This record gives sequence, structure tokens and C-alpha cells, in this order.
Amino acid sequence: MTRVVHYLNQFFAGIGGEDSAGVGPGTAAGPVGPGRRLGALLGDGFEIVATVWCGDDHAAAGDGVAAEIVAMAAEAKAELLLAGPAFGSGRYGLACARVAAAAEAAGIPAVAAMHEDNPGVGDAGAAPVVGVGPSAREMPAALDRLAGAARTVAAGRVLTPAGGRVGPVPRRGVLAEAPAAARAVDLLLARLGGDRERSEVPLPSFDRVVPAAPLADPAGATVVLVTEGALVPDGNPDKLESARATRWQRYPLDGLDRLEPGAWRSVHGGFSTVWANEDPHRILPVDAARDLEREGAIGVLGSEYLVTVGNGTAVATARRFGVEWADDLRRSGARAAILTAT
Amino acid sequence: MRAVEFGPATGYAGGVLTVARSEAEARLAHPALDGVRLSWASPGEAVRIVKVLDAVEPRTKGPGGGGVFPGFTGPARPPGRGETHVLRGAAVVAAGYLPRAQEGLVDLSGPAAPLSPLGATHNLVVEFRPAAGAAWEDVDDALRRGLLRLAVRLADAAVDAPPDTVEVLATAGRRNRPGLPRIAAVTNLQTQGAFKDVFVYGRRFAAALPTLIAPGELDDGAVVSGQFGHPGLKNPTYLHQNHPVVEALRLRHGHDLLLAGVVLAPEPVEAAGKELVSAHAARLCALAGIDGAVVTKEGGGNADADMALKMDALEDAGIAAVGLFAEMAGPDGTAPPVVVPPERATAMVSTGNYDERLRLPAVERALGGERFDLAGVEATAALEVPTAVVYCSLSPLGWGRLTCREQLERSIA
Repeated sequence: MTRVVHYLNQFFAGIGGEDSAGVGPGTAAGPVGPGRRLGALLGDGFEIVATVWCGDDHAAAGDGVAAEIVAMAAEAKAELLLAGPAFGSGRYGLACARVAAAAEAAGIPAVAAMHEDNPGVGDAGAAPVVGVGPSAREMPAALDRLAGAARTVAAGRVLTPAGGRVGPVPRRGVLAEAPAAARAVDLLLARLGGDRERSEVPLPSFDRVVPAAPLADPAGATVVLVTEGALVPDGNPDKLESARATRWQRYPLDGLDRLEPGAWRSVHGGFSTVWANEDPHRILPVDAARDLEREGAIGVLGSEYLVTVGNGTAVATARRFGVEWADDLRRSGARAAILTAT
Repeated sequence: MRAVEFGPATGYAGGVLTVARSEAEARLAHPALDGVRLSWASPGEAVRIVKVLDAVEPRTKGPGGGGVFPGFTGPARPPGRGETHVLRGAAVVAAGYLPRAQEGLVDLSGPAAPLSPLGATHNLVVEFRPAAGAAWEDVDDALRRGLLRLAVRLADAAVDAPPDTVEVLATAGRRNRPGLPRIAAVTNLQTQGAFKDVFVYGRRFAAALPTLIAPGELDDGAVVSGQFGHPGLKNPTYLHQNHPVVEALRLRHGHDLLLAGVVLAPEPVEAAGKELVSAHAARLCALAGIDGAVVTKEGGGNADADMALKMDALEDAGIAAVGLFAEMAGPDGTAPPVVVPPERATAMVSTGNYDERLRLPAVERALGGERFDLAGVEATAALEVPTAVVYCSLSPLGWGRLTCREQLERSIA
């Protein structure tokens, strides 16, 4: 008997609609809402022993929420965690993906279900995402697909794109038979022989960012400085990493007309920081920004700056920083940000 | 070499290398160094080397042989001919703090050992104390020269012993054999200033244009590393001496390809420099009548741009190109794997995922430092670290067997 814990948002758990989106994590024994039908579809050998839920806003806002939900599932001795289906709902999809990712990371196999265009698809970490329709009208078919995927994963097999998987399939380190240099020579001879397709690395597809239109009225705008140049107060009080950042920091600029050498330091591990430390404005141009502020070319310089280190940062992490910074800046009322890169 | 020890006199007998500490330490004497400490770290031991800098294989040309490491321990004359004596199974390794050096480690046992060439060698580890007031650049220079002198001294100690094996190495052929493609190794060297530089014939390579050399020049130490960034993506002197692509090409030389030479290319930091060097490398290969090239890099995402530009430039010149890339695909292996992929020359070999986590058990003793600062723990502690911190784990020169595949089955934790 596989012990299943099912994750739902506040709406499908029957707590309430948008007005309850801020509700924190909760749990109940047995299946709830669509979990009843899911339990029946899973059939013998599976039992939904508990349902866990969280409000969509609450789940999307906090870093530790997924871990909290997984702890509840572990408390219920989950052997498999199923999340959703979230269909096309963005916040719900993100929550399902993060809960599934956290469960996998904690050693509990997990599957999330959502539409392939749901932004959560890229956030499920090592957990598979099974594709379902875009709206809750497709609930019966979606539960059928989730149940099928659950059986695959419970059997110790990997959900494949042919099995309904959407989003990236994790690439894992393995030891090949031959050293990379010998494989490269093989590949080169194959390419000279006319095979133009063979490769060990899939071509990545990157987001293309369309630059925003220029500000119509910069003289009235709050402009914020942000940087990946790892410039932090001397002593690095929050221990920002020098490479492979997992976090970012914010520091106040209020009342500062310039950054004094010695009081600020770049902890970036990817370039020589001698010149950055000699004059911190080379990383964070507070001097020029204050001049522009005085001249009236910009409205106000933001009262704090955001900083991380761009050195071997994983793309998924960088994307998360981008989403968090954009959200933060929007709420602060900033109209423009100058990102200095190194 | 089967065993190592310290003893009263440096010598080699019956597969055992004995090193006299005082004599070996004298090879590293320099005003910029207050002192050094030597220790052995051998395969299978529960020992970890942290803050690993460069590693050198002991080699010598023997008496009257003209010297190895041209430009450092001998005159900068082109070597690559005659006999080279190799003390196989040994490495001289510097470990300790230098500015800009990114912290890397070697474990001599456990899951990280097979991921590094130094996991299987008897390592004479050189720890050092800088002299008061010494400039770090001078400390770095003193270490590099001392390490090379010590490596030569160890090989000299064994020069009269009968060799266990004799290899006759193929040299680059000028003559064509109909039907066999002429292949070059195009080797990018990371050149980003002090502590991130590579030396060719004793000279910093940063401002150079790509240069065509014979593979034998590498065997005799024409390329010496002073590059301490990205431990997993580093090419130490040891791997330039044992260039894995050259070795793979030699194995097939005369059978289904001709090894036509090695093109060394710097990795400039500015985009215009990258474009110039890439175009020039392609021109050099075209002039040398190269049909195909295996392109390698050193360093992180920045170096991917050199790879992409060079591979595309080569294929635009009608030369087939394959590149070795480490994937930077995030801890779970789902992010885009390459920072700057080639557009047309899309054949890539994977040397593993930079971000994939490794769990390393605690060890009994550590060399190179008391702490593993990256994780903020004792150097002997159990660690969970990205693959990228293991020295040469993602070897851009293709030393390792690590690669990435789409996960076919659930890993059993």
C-alpha cells in the first residue's frame, strides 16, 4: 500500500475563493474534493492518507512554505506526493511545482499536474510535471493523467514525455565508458562523416528579453540601482557568496552621497576586485546617480539597492532573483532600474 | 611508482620514491616565501587537499637533454623531441590561499576521488607561508617556479631506473595520407591577469594570438598553468603535460585520422578580443590544412563564448568542430546547460553538470588549510558541495568520464 499525500490550493480544498488566498498551510486526514475521485482512479495499492493545502498568495509569497507543506506530508508518512491539477492557474501551478520539488529534494517521490504553459512547469526541480488541460472543466481527464503518472512514479519508473511529461527532464551526472576527450574524437569523426545531428548536449533555448520602452518622464521617476557585482558593506555582514549565489541582499543608500572606499567591498569571485574596492562607484554608480538627481535628470534615486553575485549562477536561480527583484521594485514604486553587470 | 615516503636522501628504487624533506624544501626557497611544509597524500587514504592550486607531473629530459618546462626551468627552446622521463603516478601539488583563487578540493578516497586526476596519484603536497610583506604576485611566482623545480628533481631521482614502459609518441605529421582527415586540438587557455593566467614558454599568454605547436611541446611542459579560477573547470599543468585530447588523437593517429597539431588560443576578456582570436584560430587551422578540430576551454560561462565563436568560425571556414562543455544546468539538472551555445557548430560533448551536488564523507586529515571556507566548516568535515568545487571534475580538456544524461531511472538515495 503506497501512502499518498495530496496537495490542493484553498479553492479546491474547499476553504474559500480568492478572499482566502492568504490562508496558511493546513492538513486533514484522507482525500478532499478532487482527491476523492483521484483516490478511486489510483485504485488498489494506493491510499490518500492526508490532504495538505495552502492559499495561493501565501504559497507564492514565502520561501519556506513548500518546506512547511512537505513537513506536513512527512508527518503523514507520505510515500508519494501528488500536487494539483493546477491547470493554467499561475500561482497554484507555482505552488504545486515548488511543493513537488521540495518533496523530491526531501526524498519523497512527487508528481505535479498542470497545463504545459503554466509558469510553474519550470519550477518543479527534479519532480516530474504531467501535462493536463488549461482549465478546471477538464478535471476528469486531468485526474486520470495524474493517476497514471502516479502509478509510473510509484513503480520506480521515470515519467517520460511520451508518458505525458511536460517541462524539462533532469540531466544527471553519470560516468561514461570512455573519457570525454575520446568521445569528442568519435563525435568529430562522425561529424566529418556527415552526421550533423549528433551531440551530447541539447541546444538550450533562452528567453529573449525585449527591452522596456524608455521612460516618458525620467525627471519624475524613482530610479533604483541593482547589481550582480557583489558590492556589499565591508565585512560582508550577510555572507553573500562569492560564486554560485543562492541569495541576494538589499542595503540602504539613504543619506549617502557617495560610497567611501574601505566602507564597501566587492566579494565577487570571478574578477579582480582591486579596482572595484579602490572606487566602489565602478560597481554601483551612486555618485553619478546623485548628480543626475541634483540636476533633475531623474526624479529620485531609490532608497536602497539590491545586490547579488553573478558568477556561475544557475539560470533557474538567476530567473528567481529576476522575478523577486521585479516584484520588489514594482512594490517600492520604482519606475526604472539600472543593472550594473561585471 | 608504487609507494612514497620521506627519508634521509631523495632517490627511487623498486617503485618506491623517497624524498628528503630538507632538500626538497630547498627547491622552493625564495624571499617571498617564509617557509613550506611537505606532506604526502596517496590514493585510498582518508585525506583531503583543500585550496588546491597547480599540480605538476615529475618529468625530466635527463642529463644533457635540454630541460623541461622551457622558459621556467630551462631556456625557452622548442622541445618535443628525444626522450622524456616521466615519473608516472606522482604529482607535485601546491595548496593554500592565493588571492582570486577559487577554492577547490581533492579527496583521495570516497566519491570525489574518481572525479579528479589527483585522486589516483601520490601527491607531494606543498603548503606555504608567505613572507611578511611579500607581494602576492611574488608568492605565486615563487610557488610556480619552486613546484616546477621540485617536479624535475623528483624525476631526475628516477632517471637511472629501468623504465616500466616505453611509449613512442606520434608527432604531428606534415605529410598527408589520402583518406585520413587532418585533426587539430584547439586548446583555449584562460587568460584573465594575475592568478588567472597561463604561461606558454614562460610567457603570459594573455595578449597573444593563437599559436600552432607540435604535441610533443606539451609533453615537455611548454604550457604551465597559473590559473586558479573555477576548480572543476581548471586545466592544471599536469593535464597540459598529459593533454587528454592529444592522447585520444594519438591513439588513432595513422588509423582513421592524422594528428596535425595543437592550436593554443587565449581567452580574452573583451568581446572584440574573443572575436579576433576566434577568427585567427580558424585562419591558422585553414592555413595548416586542418579538416577537423576538437575545441576545449578553461573556466566558466565566460569561456563558453570563446568556444561558441571559435567553433562557428571553424565551421564557417569548412573545418568540422566539436567542443567540450561542462553543463551549468542547476542543482536539479533542468536549466539550460550552456551559457553561450554555438549557432552552427552544434556538436558538443558534456563533461558533467557544474551544479550537481555531491555528498562527501568526513576525512581523517586535511592539507592546504584548516578550513574549507566555501562551506564555512573544518576542512576534514563531511560536505555537500557542487561538483564544480572538485579539482578537474569537469575537466574541459576531456580527462574525465563524467557526463550528463537525461535521467532514465530514479536514483536510489
